[in-house]
Amino acid sequence: MVFQKKVKLISSEKLTSDLFRLRFFCPEVAKGAKPGNFAHIRISQNTTPLLRRAFSIFDVDLKKKTFDILFKVVGLGTKILSEKKKGESLDVLGPLGNSFLISSKEQNLVLVAGGMGIAPLMFLASYLVKSEKIKREKISFLYGEKTKNNFVCLGQLKKLGVKTVLTTEDGTKGFKGKVTDLFLKRRIKLGIGKNCFIYSCGPQKMMKKMSELSKKYDLFCQLSLETHMPCGLGACFGCVVKYIKNDTTPLAGQATYKRICVDGPIFDAREVELD
Amino acid sequence: MQERLSLIDLKVKIGKIIFKNSVLVASGTFGYGEEYSELFDLNRLGGIITKSVTLNPREGNPPPRTCETPSGMLNSIGLANIGIEKFIQEKLPFLRKFNTRIIVNVAGSTVDEYLQVVEKLNRAKGVDMLEINISCPNVVEGGMVFGSDPECAFRCVKSIRKATDYPLVTKLTPNVRDIGEIALAVEDAGSDCVSLINTLVGMAIDSKTKKPLLANITGGLSGPAIKPVALAMVWKVAQKVKIPVVGIGGITNTEDALEFLLAGASLIQVGTSNFIDPQTAIKIIEGLKNYCKGNKISKIKSLIGKLKIGD
Repeated sequence: MVFQKKVKLISSEKLTSDLFRLRFFCPEVAKGAKPGNFAHIRISQNTTPLLRRAFSIFDVDLKKKTFDILFKVVGLGTKILSEKKKGESLDVLGPLGNSFLISSKEQNLVLVAGGMGIAPLMFLASYLVKSEKIKREKISFLYGEKTKNNFVCLGQLKKLGVKTVLTTEDGTKGFKGKVTDLFLKRRIKLGIGKNCFIYSCGPQKMMKKMSELSKKYDLFCQLSLETHMPCGLGACFGCVVKYIKNDTTPLAGQATYKRICVDGPIFDAREVELD
Repeated sequence: MQERLSLIDLKVKIGKIIFKNSVLVASGTFGYGEEYSELFDLNRLGGIITKSVTLNPREGNPPPRTCETPSGMLNSIGLANIGIEKFIQEKLPFLRKFNTRIIVNVAGSTVDEYLQVVEKLNRAKGVDMLEINISCPNVVEGGMVFGSDPECAFRCVKSIRKATDYPLVTKLTPNVRDIGEIALAVEDAGSDCVSLINTLVGMAIDSKTKKPLLANITGGLSGPAIKPVALAMVWKVAQKVKIPVVGIGGITNTEDALEFLLAGASLIQVGTSNFIDPQTAIKIIEGLKNYCKGNKISKIKSLIGKLKIGD
């Protein structure tokens, strides 16, 4: 069930120089959201910026009936959002989109986050640990940033007790290099193989790389894709990704376009073609 | 108060069709209706215009297909749709459950394609009207080509007129020298009314990457940015033709809707604003009701074309 509601901003927290965490009181989204879902938020009552902005659900609190988003200031929309004050109301549509497929078997789970890709994967990690279906020793979290000051949620990750491996492009913390390099290097050690569930979110280039690696090694990897979305409801067909079905049905191998907002944002990395 | 409000007559009649109110949702911005059905009661709308339907399914243009511009957005979807067969089988049964007017938007790359779609719709149940899209700016064949030349527009609409008993509304493009000329041509061809405007051809460039922001390079501009253009064209066309005019272009609130009615629109369509606030159409319906009540207007149709010029 999708809701449209005016929801109150409970808190706005500046995590790094350009990274913000907003918390909204919204029982419907707190209760209904699954890891991978997103909220479509109206930024302004003015006509510029005109369109809503989509944000992955970063956290929910069922008791306090809140949900959180995490975002970086990249343009006018996110700048306005970062200036919203506690107590203000915003028009929210959600929860929207599909969600990560959660494994019910005892197997290795590897979460691969790059930069802001931490948002949906943090929600997923908390969900997996809370569900207690999977032993936390089976969960690895690979997290890459440009530099050490950009990392967020390290305390939370430690608390969750999942195996966390960090990497920075400038080498100021953890491994030096991109998180996809780390993924490749640690592939064997982390037991990444056909029976493993991989979840990944990050910038477009990283998603492309993860998609290529998944195809090359035939890995089951779910990507959370991001794009501009006018409606968020599947009505406008504006937010599509090239999609090739990877199975034995008659449609296998045929390229089509899928809407990221309703057919995604979660896709099997072997089934999408990214630019 | 509830009783007083209910005395206000929001109904508008076009040909034989009675619309319960003047507010419809525009093609391409409301999917096939189901996408919005969890958010409000679709029965409250004056009408729903479906996403364009073509003979065969269409994948549409490569992404990126949309981009935001000041007070507007560009789109280049390219008539992505499931095709007429699937539309009739899978989408129409849902739509016809609602007590609102269902208008199917028909597009094609040749006149024959339009006719084949119309032929299939003739045998379908639950359709009240057809909107003939001769104005899509984002396809190579057909689309805007039919709507840019009065003779082509006449031929296309005339052939469809002969092929069906459905009332026709022809959707016009603003990307022409004289939209009044095209409107007259489709009136002559037997269109029951005209709707305008479709999107204006536009473009956006990222100066950092030196690349266009749409993969199709150009697209159609919609949203509040185009409202003044739409209003002028609706006014112009309403002077020219005898058939009713349906106003479209950047309508986001009750005041906008009133402006279009005053300029001569019998009905209005909410488009891009459905993305920004899915409740826009419902808010406008309520707003029009309250406006009539506040101004002691008993019938909304008495406002149509009542623009005051001069003293």
